[in-house]
Amino acid sequence: MASQLLPLELIDKCVGSRIWVVMKGDKEFAGTLLGFDDYVNMVLEDVTEFDYSGSNIKLSKILLNGNNVCMLIPGGEGPEAATS
Amino acid sequence: MENGASDSKDPSGFLSEIIGTPVTVKLNSSVVYKGLLSSVDGYMNIALEKTEEYVDGELRRSYGDAFVRGNNVLYISAD
Repeated sequence: MASQLLPLELIDKCVGSRIWVVMKGDKEFAGTLLGFDDYVNMVLEDVTEFDYSGSNIKLSKILLNGNNVCMLIPGGEGPEAATS
Repeated sequence: MENGASDSKDPSGFLSEIIGTPVTVKLNSSVVYKGLLSSVDGYMNIALEKTEEYVDGELRRSYGDAFVRGNNVLYISAD
């Protein structure tokens, strides 16, 4: 059987590159992934927070709680880049 | 929490890096607390000093010391 890539190994490959985080609910974040732990708490840099209201908030460096994370998209730049 | 303790890029390393600095803490309810981060633990329980509470971007209250229970925290941002 071919060696399969575990989900968290995929995220480990994303360290240092841009990532798009879709939360439970309406919030989304795009930023550079600096690190994460087993709970998928993430340290992100040069972050844009996308609100349900459509307002974007810029944040330099954050620790994002993994509790409400729904989906991670490697290389993603957020909802505005994805919808065209 | 133990394997990345020395790496400032991992969550635990980032936390130890920003202790004592001004931070912005956003809760799942969208309420924002700004203050000096005096301590934080593995649950993301947070103790803040000189805390300002913002609701819809407007300053509502100020607290000398405040404890925020970790389950409410969306993110901690270094200012």
